[in-house]
Amino acid sequence: MVSRFKWLGWLRDHGRIAVESLHYISSRLGTSFLVWLLVGIALALPAGLWILQVNMAEMSADWQGRPGLSVYFKMQTANSQVQDAAVLLGRQDIIDEVVTTSAEEALEEFKSYSGLTGGEGGLGDALTLLDKNPLPASLRAYFVPGAAIGEVEHLINLAQRQPGVAEVVVEKTWLERLHELSRVVSRLGAILGVLFGLGAILVTASSVRLAIEGRLDELRVLKMVGATQGQVRRPFLYFGALYGFGGGVIAAMLISVTLVVIEPPLQSLLGSYQRELNLAGFDPIFLLVLLGLGSVLGIVGAILAVRQRLKDLEIF
Amino acid sequence: MGHIELNHVTKRFDNGHEALSDVSVEFAEGSMTFLTGHSGAGKSTFLKLLLGADIPTRGRVLVNGVNIGAMSQRRLPYYRQNLGVVFQDHHLLSQRTVFENVALPLRVMGMRGREIARRVRASLTRVELLGKEHLFPRHLSTGEQQRVGIARAVVTRPKILLADEPTGNLDPDLSRHIMDLFSRFNQVGSTVIVASHDVSLIEEMGMRILHLEQGRVVSDQPGLNQQAHDPAPDQTDVEET
Repeated sequence: MVSRFKWLGWLRDHGRIAVESLHYISSRLGTSFLVWLLVGIALALPAGLWILQVNMAEMSADWQGRPGLSVYFKMQTANSQVQDAAVLLGRQDIIDEVVTTSAEEALEEFKSYSGLTGGEGGLGDALTLLDKNPLPASLRAYFVPGAAIGEVEHLINLAQRQPGVAEVVVEKTWLERLHELSRVVSRLGAILGVLFGLGAILVTASSVRLAIEGRLDELRVLKMVGATQGQVRRPFLYFGALYGFGGGVIAAMLISVTLVVIEPPLQSLLGSYQRELNLAGFDPIFLLVLLGLGSVLGIVGAILAVRQRLKDLEIF
Repeated sequence: MGHIELNHVTKRFDNGHEALSDVSVEFAEGSMTFLTGHSGAGKSTFLKLLLGADIPTRGRVLVNGVNIGAMSQRRLPYYRQNLGVVFQDHHLLSQRTVFENVALPLRVMGMRGREIARRVRASLTRVELLGKEHLFPRHLSTGEQQRVGIARAVVTRPKILLADEPTGNLDPDLSRHIMDLFSRFNQVGSTVIVASHDVSLIEEMGMRILHLEQGRVVSDQPGLNQQAHDPAPDQTDVEET
């Protein structure tokens, strides 16, 4: 029974302090807004980079870019020479798969991709006017994952020595670059997340420290009448949580405004690759995590400030 | 809880100043005692040790047999919830109403709102301030502010009531009124220790008087209805008055 009363008292104390903290924050709206803005910017940068990284990773996964090597043959090269080269390259350890495309298949593919298989006045018409197929035979050899640069160089030399070979291209597709860029963004986001998270903690700690300085008399009285350490520091933990939560709201607003601003040019860019813009990551779970993270960082900042200032506070 | 004993207590500060020197004294449960002495005699340090706001350099401060100096930081707040403390400058919270100031110790104890309201009203009635609970301290006279401080100290019905120069800023009539209040709380069972340098007023009260000089108890005058306390054997400079 006593324990139940103790818990009820504890809950009542939390409720009262939560209301008082809200009142304190709202009665100093100018200062509070500045703190929210600072914490919000600190949260928005790494959170925005995270959204960018998620979308880049999704794009590269969606289009399944695989690193490899393209070999283009001279015109009129016999299919048997193309097949021989494919077999030779296929035997190399760093090659996972070889796909050949004859000149005829290349022409069909081109027609299919351009969507112009017969309409009047289009590229399809232009192709029918040519005497011969302008496209060469080619093959594409895909590397096994983690192929070393030195081995790739050896493979290029080998391919170039094959009869009928006009050109060997080791080209990372832009998707591969996107994949690597996404890894860079991911690491950058992690580093910035730590740095700006620290910034958010320090901003909150400074603000809570100011609040403590303004209420030292009250804290002395509280200690005098028998408030526990938890009761003394509780209001400041609420301040920290509210500062952090508000910062999270500002961060969410900043990110959503940024997404609205960059959406048209991004849509246009993706449209040129026949892709549609489907932004991932900015969902309710992301918002909850952002608000929760802001609150937690705020509480951590408040704990630092409280520990530092209240440790040796004398009653009188 | 209310029996207090200081056992060869010495308090020396980091700068070498000895605020209390080998003080041994006992306060019976339900007793009322005045601590007198000039400024710097050690009265406030004496009260600080009882409050657990400081620890003795040597010796023991025992409250009902429990050594306060050795009490953990975790337990100390619960010990303080059994004390009432009154200061010369009230230490009232200016942003809170009279009601909220008096209710503070009860909120700390986790009491329910209805019980808090009942006790605060009872406490304010005792100090004759009922009806002023919605005012802020700045709207009250110095004497009224002091009475709010007393109401806050007694609202938890403490077993021990400590006061540090509670009449320092008050005129003689108000001072007498405040001392009468302490006397009434003593009559309902609280152990009361009041530090004051207002000798004439203290002598009027007819209670036990401990006189401190340079950190030592130099006299221990019993109250009108009390036996003289034996001075500690090693305190050779104690005078019986």
